[in-house]
Amino acid sequence: MPEIATLERVLWGLSFFLNVGLVLLLLYWKNHRVYPLFFVYAASAVFQSIALFGAYRAWGFNSPASLSVGWGTQLLVTSARALAVAEICHRIMAKYQGIWKLARLLLISAAAFVALFSWSLSQSNLRSVLLSFDRGMALAIASVIVILLLLSRYYAVSLEPTVRTVTTGFFLYSIFCVLNNTVIERWLTHSTMLWNVLGTVTFIASLLLWAWAFREPQEQAAARPEMLPESVYGSLVPEIDSRLKTLNEQLNHFWGAEGKKT
Amino acid sequence: MNLLFYLFFAVVAVLFVLFVWSLRSSKASGARETIPEDVGRSHVIYLPQIRQAMAEADYQFVADKVSLKTQRRMRKDRRNVALAYLKELRGDFDGLLRTARVIAALSPEVVAVQEWERVRLTVSFRWRYRIIWLSLLAGFTPLPQMTDLSKLLSGFSVRLEDAMIKLGERAALVGEMASAPDRRRIHPA
Repeated sequence: MPEIATLERVLWGLSFFLNVGLVLLLLYWKNHRVYPLFFVYAASAVFQSIALFGAYRAWGFNSPASLSVGWGTQLLVTSARALAVAEICHRIMAKYQGIWKLARLLLISAAAFVALFSWSLSQSNLRSVLLSFDRGMALAIASVIVILLLLSRYYAVSLEPTVRTVTTGFFLYSIFCVLNNTVIERWLTHSTMLWNVLGTVTFIASLLLWAWAFREPQEQAAARPEMLPESVYGSLVPEIDSRLKTLNEQLNHFWGAEGKKT
Repeated sequence: MNLLFYLFFAVVAVLFVLFVWSLRSSKASGARETIPEDVGRSHVIYLPQIRQAMAEADYQFVADKVSLKTQRRMRKDRRNVALAYLKELRGDFDGLLRTARVIAALSPEVVAVQEWERVRLTVSFRWRYRIIWLSLLAGFTPLPQMTDLSKLLSGFSVRLEDAMIKLGERAALVGEMASAPDRRRIHPA
């Protein structure tokens, strides 16, 4: 593998050992039972590294076979990452039946829209389609995380520190993937060196965040809070919304008067 | 192609700002985002004093008797009173809004249209509130409209309280939710 620069090899090795360390940490504290899909994601990333290492050794860095292995395993890892983020969403919101139904619909719609929109912008060649797919998935994951946090804030749903850290890791890695894919599509058509180095550095940062988050055993998701009878929402919330609407109209009037004065 | 290239950067920038804001806000809100214990309370009990303080006749009466420096200070004080009053209006609005959000969060079913409508109204209210706040800072004191707003809010609170009383046991649940210290923030963990 002479094509791969020393720095990249060092970073790759570091990320591999950190990744293995994360998997072992999850197993040691039995956190794989609490966050099974996150564990699958971490394990799939280890599997990808091993598969890539084998492919590069066997066929060389720039061979079509290595490229196929690279993109094939990338598809698996990206899907596992999406599922791990879905698990986080479930952990935060599923306790609240009503808003979870609403949030689920919103998150799935947003993810599908963003991924398809991003993918639709790809050019006709295979490389562009693959890059766009990866970028679309990363952008969808980042969007889902932002919407999830906005919903949590709006409904004052508290976030566990672990969830907060894991989410930060996913978000940073995802937006970096978007930027990386966009830059590489535009400027670095013939070189993937920078893409690999920067991507590995971001992945290492995310691995450190996740290792920090899972440095101790995690509790199973808290039990559902006692729900109010359905009729409470039906009776009070439309009334509140109606009054808020009137209040807003009053403020409009208020503002109109101000406008005339000025 | 160039446009699309910059579009992705812009989208990432927006997402990043929203991410930092929502994370910071949710951290800070741990102490701040509480459900008001007295949902029916309103600033309206201070309205006579506020009206007196803002009355033009009062100002005219004093203006003939005091120096320009004192008049300026008085104008500044009146403006501060108006700003404080507006802040209280927003506090009432936010308190009622928080109650609605908690009811939604603890309900087995929510109506998307109602939830969306409230988000829309909240954004609209906050934006207009900011404009009015700035125009007050610039020296305007639109008292009549402020009185309307005050009446509206107090009426809203009273009706909400009535509705809760009519709901009997269910109202007690909501009341408990609002008053128990460990349930002010949704945090069953």
